[in-house]
Amino acid sequence: MSSLAEQSAGLRPVDGLRAEWTRTWAFAHRNLVMARRNVFFVFELAFWPGVAMLSHGLLTRFLELTPQMTAFILAGTVALSTVQVCQLDVAYVVLFDIWSKSMKHQFLTPTEIRHLAVGSWLVGVGRGVVVFALMAAIGSSFFGFDFLGAGPLSLALFLFGCFLCSLIIGLCVCALVVLFGTRAETSAWATVNLLVMLSGIYYPVSVLPGWAQTVSAAIPLTYFLDYFRTGYGFPAAFAHPLAAGFGLAALYLALAHWAFAAAITRSRRTGLLLKLSE
Amino acid sequence: MAAAETLAVDARGLTKTFRGGWLGRRRTEALRGASLAVPRGAIMGLLGPNGAGKTTLLSILATLLIPDGGTARILGLDVVKQAREVRRRLNMTSGNTSFVWSLRPPEVLEFYGRLYGFQGRALRIRVEALIELCELGPHRKTQYNELSTGLKQRLAFAKSLLNDPEVLFLDEPTLGLDPDVSVRIRAQVARLRRERGTTIILTTHYMREAEELCDEIAFIKGGRILAQGPSDALKRQIRIGEVIALKLDPAEPAGFADLAGVLDVRRHGDTVEATVDAVEKRLPEILRWLHDQGVVVRDCRVHEPDLEEVFVELAR
Repeated sequence: MSSLAEQSAGLRPVDGLRAEWTRTWAFAHRNLVMARRNVFFVFELAFWPGVAMLSHGLLTRFLELTPQMTAFILAGTVALSTVQVCQLDVAYVVLFDIWSKSMKHQFLTPTEIRHLAVGSWLVGVGRGVVVFALMAAIGSSFFGFDFLGAGPLSLALFLFGCFLCSLIIGLCVCALVVLFGTRAETSAWATVNLLVMLSGIYYPVSVLPGWAQTVSAAIPLTYFLDYFRTGYGFPAAFAHPLAAGFGLAALYLALAHWAFAAAITRSRRTGLLLKLSE
Repeated sequence: MAAAETLAVDARGLTKTFRGGWLGRRRTEALRGASLAVPRGAIMGLLGPNGAGKTTLLSILATLLIPDGGTARILGLDVVKQAREVRRRLNMTSGNTSFVWSLRPPEVLEFYGRLYGFQGRALRIRVEALIELCELGPHRKTQYNELSTGLKQRLAFAKSLLNDPEVLFLDEPTLGLDPDVSVRIRAQVARLRRERGTTIILTTHYMREAEELCDEIAFIKGGRILAQGPSDALKRQIRIGEVIALKLDPAEPAGFADLAGVLDVRRHGDTVEATVDAVEKRLPEILRWLHDQGVVVRDCRVHEPDLEEVFVELAR
């Protein structure tokens, strides 16, 4: 113990912005280490996106779609895979602790939701970019799809919008898992599929029933897909899709943060936080 | 001096009910007005039977649970309203601690160290010191799920020291460990208090551990603290008393049981066991009385009750 006292004399935790980054990096680093050690992550990163791109590309060939229609379909394929991979990273920040029954330890530290959300999201964005690059390579090599066809700025804004949607979905999944325990962990895989279905992933939202169109108008991804597709010559279904998309995303981000915070508080009240650690 | 300056832990009237089953109809009252005061720098043993409320109480104090009623302060800070500040200054480990399965010991410590705000050189030095302290060096490349139970416990103990906590909660830290590992952990706990002045609350089922380490003991049962104080005071408080075993001739003189301070007299074979309230005072009096009665004392032994007997008495 004396060696601990001597060696750690004068060593103090950092504060301010450095502390913010240190705590954020803690979660990012843990997600990176876990990704490196788990072969399953290779499937998430390469196998499923690769299979999706190839199968959808081949489908466009079979249907003899025009390059414009091919872009429409493959833009949806890219959106689904990048959003899925990125939101999983956010969800993993809680799921890792649920699966290893170590939930209480991170909530015993002076950590805030923003640290675990941003830390895991940054890794998710990195993995999402890798997924996008892979899909872009397959799309352009085999199906002649130019992902930069709408311009680099459009692509960057589209991807950023997708990643924001991932953060929102990931936080909601975290809230559900903290609220309902392991029963809710399937939401990590199910939620995104439901949302992309409603946001016009492979079709314009106008083909959806009336009530579903109302729902889709409340999903930011709908607007980001709409915006990106206008770069390939499709008419915009919404006025100011970017503003609407980012506006809704900001609103939902605040709500998702609040929901996660409320879920943690409730979990502390009900004792579920402890049960998830036993 | 204000309570906040002298007390590390000041819990008053804590209540907690867990609800389960359909619509939360099944209710379990885990705490029913538990109050606990722990002076700064003390080691407090929290003892009680299974389901007494020990872990619930510690979890509330550690900000992991929100109480239904009552108040709790750690180092003068409210555990609900000032939880973030409290978390900077305390830490906790338990016998069933678990960490993310594929992280290695240094990675586990680095992760939580960063959450406490340590980075760069400070983090590396701190992690290395804890690895050395808890003798985890040879296992630094082993993933968590491949560590033995003892090594996992040592890692959990190391994690609990990361932020140099002023208040440390140890929830059955030696549960299921080999005796040699338990001895080492107990030695480290004692050194922590001695050299760092850490306030420690320890729950354990091992009475010897509590008696060896703790300045004070609090007994909890049914969600209430039934008794609190130094173990000697507790023994006196519940009048377990100390036992004087005598071999006499004649075997049991008349009037012996009526002597002042004699709580109980029992005969086992040729030995008479007298339970007395204070052995230092009563033994000379009894020997004098026996001499006056012409009774020959062939053997005399004093047996102090251990904490286990106090525990059994209070747990009834």
